[in-house]
Amino acid sequence: MLQVKNIVKYYGNNCAVNDLSFEVKDGEIFGLLGENGAGKTTTFRIILGLLDADRGSVSLNGETIDYSKTDKIGYVTEERSLLTKMTVKEQLIYYGVLKGLTEKQVLDKMDDLLKEFDVLDYKNRKIKELSKGNQQKIQFISAVLNDPILLILDEPFTGLDPINVKMFKDYIRKLQKKGCSIIFSSHQMEHIEEFCEKMVILVKGKSILEGYIKDIKKDYRKHNIFIKGDINKEDFKNIKGVIEVSKKDDEYVVKIEDYDVVPKVFKKISSKEINKFVVEEATLNEIFIAKVGELK
Amino acid sequence: MMNKFWYLTKYGLKKRLKSKAFIISNIAIFLLLLAIFNIDSIISFFGGDFDLETKVYVVDNTNDSFDILKANYETIKMGINEENDNVSFIKSDKKVEELKEDIKDTTDIIVELNVDETNYINASIITENYIDTLVYQSLYQAITGTKYQKAIIESNINIDELNKIYEPVTIERVILDETKNTEEENMNAVMGILFPTLILPFFFLIVLLVQFIGGEINEEKTTRSMEVIISNVPAKVHFFSKLVANNAFVIIQAILVFLYGLIGFFSRKIFGSGMSSSFTTEINNALSSLGKTGILDKLYYIIPITIVLIVLSFIAYSLVAGILASMTVNPEDFQHIQTPIMIICFISYYLSAMSSMFNGSIFIRVLSCVPFVSFLLSPALLLIGQIGIIEVLIAIVLLIVVNYLLAKYGLKIYKIGILNYSTDKMWERIFKAAKM
Repeated sequence: MLQVKNIVKYYGNNCAVNDLSFEVKDGEIFGLLGENGAGKTTTFRIILGLLDADRGSVSLNGETIDYSKTDKIGYVTEERSLLTKMTVKEQLIYYGVLKGLTEKQVLDKMDDLLKEFDVLDYKNRKIKELSKGNQQKIQFISAVLNDPILLILDEPFTGLDPINVKMFKDYIRKLQKKGCSIIFSSHQMEHIEEFCEKMVILVKGKSILEGYIKDIKKDYRKHNIFIKGDINKEDFKNIKGVIEVSKKDDEYVVKIEDYDVVPKVFKKISSKEINKFVVEEATLNEIFIAKVGELK
Repeated sequence: MMNKFWYLTKYGLKKRLKSKAFIISNIAIFLLLLAIFNIDSIISFFGGDFDLETKVYVVDNTNDSFDILKANYETIKMGINEENDNVSFIKSDKKVEELKEDIKDTTDIIVELNVDETNYINASIITENYIDTLVYQSLYQAITGTKYQKAIIESNINIDELNKIYEPVTIERVILDETKNTEEENMNAVMGILFPTLILPFFFLIVLLVQFIGGEINEEKTTRSMEVIISNVPAKVHFFSKLVANNAFVIIQAILVFLYGLIGFFSRKIFGSGMSSSFTTEINNALSSLGKTGILDKLYYIIPITIVLIVLSFIAYSLVAGILASMTVNPEDFQHIQTPIMIICFISYYLSAMSSMFNGSIFIRVLSCVPFVSFLLSPALLLIGQIGIIEVLIAIVLLIVVNYLLAKYGLKIYKIGILNYSTDKMWERIFKAAKM
């Protein structure tokens, strides 16, 4: 289990991470959300020991993270972090040995992983000759070569098509089942929503919202009603609790302040011909925009 | 962690030694040195002829100058170590006009000796084309000498007096400063030619070192692979592995160039060059000349001191290159930032090459103790006696202190720099990082 306790990091007078705490249990996927410059990468670097926190502590399975532990931590950086003049094989051996594996151990595992990610044919090709998507796969493979107990993924799906995204997700789920703790940052909220049990939203290094996603959504009372039928925008006028009405194709999306508003809306349009009336919790994206927007 | 250090070091070294650039450049250097050492064979192969004899036809209208002229020429050749210049003297009975026909399409020379109305020798030198400057100068001196000798003989001076006149003048050299001696005085002249050649490889090695270390760190940073590497090995281990690998590489490169030189030298025997013996003789002559200056007697302590200075300076330059490269975010940045390092190295080289001109000025003596400059300047000044062993020891101590400070504060800068991708106010960022 990863425990991050009250970490604080300053760059000069600028506070990059401000009293941040969270826990990621074994086999749990944790989402770290925030705008650019919110402190996500600094948090990752502190966890990895690349930066020293000014205050607070980070521990993995109860022990402080030092270079004897980092062999079991996988890290996929936001930007491609590969030595592009190397071949795929050389790159994986290089990173594998730096993770404490022997060359033989890397070679034994390499082919299976390359095959699983459908890049075995590129084994002897130079990294710079690969597409961005395939480079991302090599970067991911190098991070999981040593069966990590903690995997840090900073925007792992950037540059991937939906088929490859699924490939990554399947492998991440596999690691999760093996008990690997995973920290995941992404700008694409649907990935976080689909993937993570817990999350934290960072704004200027400070956590403004944290906890289990289902609880966060539950606590965030606003809902969306998706309605199809013989109606128009005017029908929702003067209903107390309706925040906004928008139309997409032939479907109306009615944003409401609370679930209690649903019966009022239904009553107002019940006399009309309705084909669809679905109530959903607000999306994580909406929560993110609302929470971050509140602070601006 | 030591395993990872050695892995990174070995990997860095292997990468350099296996690179196409290294293999191609070494083949080129080897062939170049082989060609330089055998340039005479190559020229001969393409039609040149170093053994071609040049005949000097002497038309002696004075009737008694030929032997004196020939003897004078031989003496001059011995004096300048050019005994084998393939020039032979022939006393000719032919007319000049006839000889002009004979020397067509050859390198042969006609020397016509006459006496003027005051009974002194004058001469004409006639050739088909330009002649070798050295041969012309030797002929000119030989003819002038012949004129003097004939004049002395004709003035009825007896043979003993004549011998005394021709004896070299005995000069007693007295230097009032008791710390100076004539050997060092001679050495100044030798230094001007010899030292720039000897230190040139070290200048190039520093340039290579700075570029390799900086280039590698810059590449790992710009490709962002640095973050992954540093998450598995401490920045200190990474930094020192680069230092060791690249220093080892430049030392290997230096040894290889030296070996190529040796192979080139010995290949002369294989290719059977006619100049081989004269070449060896010239080297012996050069060593003998050096011996006379007293340089060889000093080498037993100057060589170890120089090696210590060079090793310490290599470390200092490596540290600076690594630290500065850690703050750069693209290759262009590094090109800019390495310029001051190159300029310092360049200045050191020229100061060292011109060391004999400074006459022990205080400024140069102080400069010889300054790190980054001392490794080239100190040994040069010590060799010619412008500084003593104390100044060199100060230079060594200062280098050790600078290396310690660079390692202590530089590593802090490096650790922060490799993760910093900011592009502005680089020097400010360096000082901030050092303070942390």
